[in-house]
Amino acid sequence: MTFLFFVMFSWFVVKAKTRRQVLALVLVGTTAGVLVAPPRVQAQTSLVGAIQAVLNVINGVIHSGLSSINSVRTADNNFYRNVIWPVQLINQARAQVTQMIAQFRIPMWSIFRINLSSATLPATQQLEQVVRNQQTNDFALLTTNYGNAYGSVPVSTAASPPDRAMTDMDDALALDTLKTLKKTDEAGTLTLQAGDQLESGVGQAAPGSSPFLTASAVVASIQCQALTQKMLAAELRQEAARLAHESALRKRSATYTGQVGNQIINLLKRN
Amino acid sequence: MKNALTMIFERWRCGFRWAWGHKLRVVVLALVLVMLAPRQVKSQLLDPCCAVLVAGLTTISSTMNNVIGGGLTSILTVDRAIQNFEQTVVWPQAQISQAQSLVGSTQGTFTTIQNVTRIPVNSATLPAPQQLEQILLSADANQISRTSSSYSVVYGPVPDVTAASQDVRNRTDMADAAAQAAMKRSIAIDNLADLEIQAANQINQSLQTAAPGSAPIIEAQADAWLVRANAYTQAAIADLMRVRAIDLADAGANIKSGATNTTNLGQQLINLLKRQ
Repeated sequence: MTFLFFVMFSWFVVKAKTRRQVLALVLVGTTAGVLVAPPRVQAQTSLVGAIQAVLNVINGVIHSGLSSINSVRTADNNFYRNVIWPVQLINQARAQVTQMIAQFRIPMWSIFRINLSSATLPATQQLEQVVRNQQTNDFALLTTNYGNAYGSVPVSTAASPPDRAMTDMDDALALDTLKTLKKTDEAGTLTLQAGDQLESGVGQAAPGSSPFLTASAVVASIQCQALTQKMLAAELRQEAARLAHESALRKRSATYTGQVGNQIINLLKRN
Repeated sequence: MKNALTMIFERWRCGFRWAWGHKLRVVVLALVLVMLAPRQVKSQLLDPCCAVLVAGLTTISSTMNNVIGGGLTSILTVDRAIQNFEQTVVWPQAQISQAQSLVGSTQGTFTTIQNVTRIPVNSATLPAPQQLEQILLSADANQISRTSSSYSVVYGPVPDVTAASQDVRNRTDMADAAAQAAMKRSIAIDNLADLEIQAANQINQSLQTAAPGSAPIIEAQADAWLVRANAYTQAAIADLMRVRAIDLADAGANIKSGATNTTNLGQQLINLLKRQ
């Protein structure tokens, strides 16, 4: 660019015919040079200022920012260790679980296992033993022992069909309840085992793993509620059958009363 | 060759002559040439500006190392301490895996319990009681509508108007109603209990693959199910209390009825004796 300018300027100066033209060219060229030429770069003073500015930013904003972040993270660290998850208290909680297992588990198990059998006669002792053995694989023996203690449904020649049906229904629902209780007894033993497992697990848990055990315990509670409901359903059936039995007796009593009344009236009429 | 040298000499002489005749233009061109000629570049080693730049950059580098590097190192140290604390104390992977394994073990126990609850307990021997018992133990809410007809077959219908007094008919109908409602409730409760066990199994399975951060959500869901289960248990207890209340009312009505019948009988005997 500079070379081109010099060539053109030289050409016009050489070709100028008068001194006035030469002077005019000098003026035009100087003006153009002043206007187009780039400004001179600032030297040392500006460079030192810029370096100092960068140093100020580093020592000021960045240094204070990093110090603040470090302070916050350190505070977080201390808060976690001293307030939220102090290791000493975590260990203390675990130790408490272990201590309570040792204190309560075996004594409670012993109390729960106390033999409650109270029958004195052979037939009822056998029935009581089957009723309380917490087994679910001897329902046939339960039925047999129940028959030995309470008798069986009368044969068709020994009782009316309604009496036989009602007796059979009473026996059936009583046996159903006894069988359901055997099942829930066994389930209760397993539930106690699950409770023991969970408690032992809690004794070794960390703050971050205990939510699993808490949730599992809640799920176990739901299942326990379901078992309780099944027991209540059996109890409902049994109570309903007792009420139905009394109601059926009343119906029959009404029928018999009517029949006896008619027979007395007929008897009096004959006399 | 000689001609060429002669021509060059002539050109030089011509040019010199033109320059001598145009001194101003030559001066102007010389000045412009001086002004536009490229400048000499400054040496890195000897120029004081570069020395300042080097010193400045060295200071910046040193400051960055001390201030930024030192600050970041401090933060990294604290972060590593937090990370180590979280991984070894708060959320240790081994304990998390152990808890998940324990959840699976608990699930195994409850699967056994579930199998126990499925063992049939049917015990009736005659056709009509067998049919009623089968409905009562079905744990299927769709069977509830069949309860009343089977109930009547076993326990008989309410006596008609000619067969019993209105008082007896009322008491019989109320007792039958309470007994049937309790039986129907028992079917519904059995069905609900099965569904609760099914839901509990699903929740437990999802728990085995949960993270420590998602386990509380699952726990909250299980809590909600527990609340619901409590409500169902209360409904069952309510029906049980109703049955017992009706039974008690029935016992009281028996005494009232006995007193009325005794009075009526006494009056009839007096009337009979008066006639004789």
